[in-house]
Amino acid sequence: MKNFRFTVLAGAMSLAGLTTGAFAEDVTIGLATAQTGGLAYADQPSLAGFKMAVDEINAAGGLGGKYKIVLDIKDTRTDTAATVQAAQELVADGVKVMITPCDADPSIAAGQISQPAQIPTLTFCGTTPTITEAVGDYMFGTYPADNGQAALLADYAASKGYKNIYILKSPDSAYTLRLPEYFEEVFKKKGGAIVGEGTYTMGQQDFAAEVTKIKAMNPQPDAIMTAAYEPDFPAFLQQLRGAGVAAPVIGSDGIDSPTITGLGAIANGIVHTTAGSPVAGSKLAAFYDKFKEKTGAAPETVYVATGYEIPYILDAAVKAAGSVDGPALRDALANLKDVEVLTGKVTYAGTNRMPIRDITIVEIEDGKRKPILTAMPDPADVPKP
Amino acid sequence: MLEVSGLKVKYGEVTAVKGVSLSVSKGAVVVLLGANGAGKSSTLNAIAGLVASTGSISFEGKPLSGQPAEDIVKRGIALTPEGRRVFPSLSVADNLHLGGAAHASGDELKKRVEAELDRFPILRERYRQKAGLLSGGEQQMLAIARSLMAGPQLLLLDEPSLGLAPLIVDKVFDLILGLKQRGLTILLVEQNAERALEIADHGYVLQTGQIVLEGSGPELARSDLVKQAYLAE
Amino acid sequence: MDIVLQQIVNAISLGGIYALLALGLAVVFSIVSLINFAHGELMTVAGYGMFFAAAVSLPFPFAVCAAVLFAVIAALLTERFAFRPMRKADATGLLLTSFAVSAILRVIFQNGISARPKPVPLPSGFAGVIDLGVLHVGIVPLLSIVMTALSLVALTLFLNRTTLGKAMRAAAEDFQVLRLMGIKANRVIAVAFAVSGALAGIAAVLWIAQRGSVDPLMGFVPVLKAFVAAVIGGLGSLTGAVAGGFALGILEVLFQAFLPDAALPFRDAFVLGFVILILIWRPDGLIPAPAARRS
Repeated sequence: MKNFRFTVLAGAMSLAGLTTGAFAEDVTIGLATAQTGGLAYADQPSLAGFKMAVDEINAAGGLGGKYKIVLDIKDTRTDTAATVQAAQELVADGVKVMITPCDADPSIAAGQISQPAQIPTLTFCGTTPTITEAVGDYMFGTYPADNGQAALLADYAASKGYKNIYILKSPDSAYTLRLPEYFEEVFKKKGGAIVGEGTYTMGQQDFAAEVTKIKAMNPQPDAIMTAAYEPDFPAFLQQLRGAGVAAPVIGSDGIDSPTITGLGAIANGIVHTTAGSPVAGSKLAAFYDKFKEKTGAAPETVYVATGYEIPYILDAAVKAAGSVDGPALRDALANLKDVEVLTGKVTYAGTNRMPIRDITIVEIEDGKRKPILTAMPDPADVPKP
Repeated sequence: MLEVSGLKVKYGEVTAVKGVSLSVSKGAVVVLLGANGAGKSSTLNAIAGLVASTGSISFEGKPLSGQPAEDIVKRGIALTPEGRRVFPSLSVADNLHLGGAAHASGDELKKRVEAELDRFPILRERYRQKAGLLSGGEQQMLAIARSLMAGPQLLLLDEPSLGLAPLIVDKVFDLILGLKQRGLTILLVEQNAERALEIADHGYVLQTGQIVLEGSGPELARSDLVKQAYLAE
Repeated sequence: MDIVLQQIVNAISLGGIYALLALGLAVVFSIVSLINFAHGELMTVAGYGMFFAAAVSLPFPFAVCAAVLFAVIAALLTERFAFRPMRKADATGLLLTSFAVSAILRVIFQNGISARPKPVPLPSGFAGVIDLGVLHVGIVPLLSIVMTALSLVALTLFLNRTTLGKAMRAAAEDFQVLRLMGIKANRVIAVAFAVSGALAGIAAVLWIAQRGSVDPLMGFVPVLKAFVAAVIGGLGSLTGAVAGGFALGILEVLFQAFLPDAALPFRDAFVLGFVILILIWRPDGLIPAPAARRS
């Protein structure tokens, strides 16, 4: 009986909370992201950056200067079914914007829940360019898409004079399979040739058999291109260099992590794309300093920065829309142009809601990443998803 | 030396031992007779601490109930289980070694091994062989020798003659008599009632978990119950 | 010819790591009938041991010792606080406990250390190659083969020459009788876990030497491989585990090396298909444990 009275009291209090909390100036953003499990490596840092930006925006008066952001954060444990459930709960709770994990499958699954409810939905760093089309007009990417990265990298490879390239891909994910294929498409158009192709299973660890094949190639390829990331990429690289293969390795943003520079001398000469590189004096470097000051540790990955950028992209859209109403916000997002963020400019206008944005190419040298160029890929080069 | 009273052993819903009381005096050979499933082995296992039981067990005046098997053997009670259960892939040497490892070390351990090899010359011949390759009789010798490595005062012997050829059975009973003459106290579970009663000072007959008869060896051998049920007459 | 020899070296090196992993599972399984799926997390712990050792600039050999030590301690702690209280449970209960331990450890790594991989730098000499006439053997595979061989010799000596080792073998055959000898069950089980932890630690060093990083989910793949290898060899049989590990490593490398390109994405399907054939041929594994396991 005592318990019952307590429940009633608690219920009344939460009701009161609801009514006071839900006055017109608040907007709830629901996050169904993977804070544990296989995607936590990307979703945890993204969320850390996201929260920091939300605090800043709230301190400055809220989204568009008037909507205070309330966060509803759910952990999806890298499980697609759990992601769907979290999305359903968030939709039922009436969130105005939803954020989904750094991967295509759970993002599409969650987007298919929020799309009919007309809730603009953004993926943290899902890079597969088909995410938005698979869901519909409320789904937005935020991160440089695979085809854009591949186009810029192929352009770089061609300009470097590479003619013959070996590619290593894995059919286990869209990223590890399609990105090298986009690269192949663009590189061939620019006159290059793919002289060999290897496949691996994600997490396979042992690349000795594959490396032995590359070692036996005559002539050796000008470069080796892959979208492999951790732990596969370091394992591949260790074994490649261990076997005495000297061909340069070029890759994508999946290897933008301290682990790679931590590999020591064998990482020298790796060239890869990334969302941004904290060059001294850049906005990104200033953000890294600010983040370190606030949390005590420097960001381990650019995902912190790309997560931080999302509330500011939303802020720009809310300013343009003048409201947080679903359809209005969707239209405003879709028409954003040249929004200044930490890593350059972001444009949605004219895209299929995977943004065109600046991509940086870096080269690793003595444990440091040295930027080679920052550019938007030429839209004529970017392959169709 | 050993006093058991009101001993009960339950396996789930089944009560295998329903209140057994018995006593074994120092230096005696006491035999437990009974059909299959009468609760003989369960009684021995309960005393040795292998299975949980209720009731009271005391050894040399001190309670034993509730202690784990590892501690009970250190108190001086060793069990040679039914079916010999030597470690088949270990050598005879290693089987003996493990029998004594928790009770002696260094030279004392070596001395005990030597003593057992003197007692069982056949084990000296087979010393480096895997125990699993020994004959049934040899395995029984090894199992008993392994128990004796602990230096017990009371030896619990569970069906030592089961499945052995008559000639070997003779050897086993000779051995038990020999152990008794050296002052070891023995509680014996045996299907071969005739032979067991020849060497027993005292005996109990178990039926469905309860003691139905007790007496000296000759008394039991003369009783109608034992004659009908256990002696081939 | 050169490439075939080269692939054989690759196969032995990978097989050796799998053998150590499978042995780690088998040592525990043979005594407490537990398939410890948290074995992979012991490797992860070892990996973090290397990471922390490198972070305080300990020389590499000390980092290796730290890895093994961390894994042994973690194995003993999981035994004491997770598996010992569940000792009376049936095989399913134990299996579920090991899943729970594994999941809890992963979350602790993710939230307590980092969800991101941590680099484990190796001495620069590790990327080198040694020329043995026609063969160019990488330092890492060579080291794997040597470390595997040394570990197997050390384990064999331990099991055959020491009282504790003999007690472990005896426990695998008849635990109850071992208790009748006065040998403490808890002690033997703890030693089994410690040995298993040491094997996980050594395997982790070799695993990490190939990948250069440690992350919270690192243990998942190796424990699966270890399980498959242990099943091929015959669950609970130590020699079987070694045979199964080498068999799995050799199969994986051979299929990777000699399958046509178009079939390569299905390599694992071929490997597991072959494993099924082995199990049809020998349902209890290559070298089964003695059947007479008493309850």
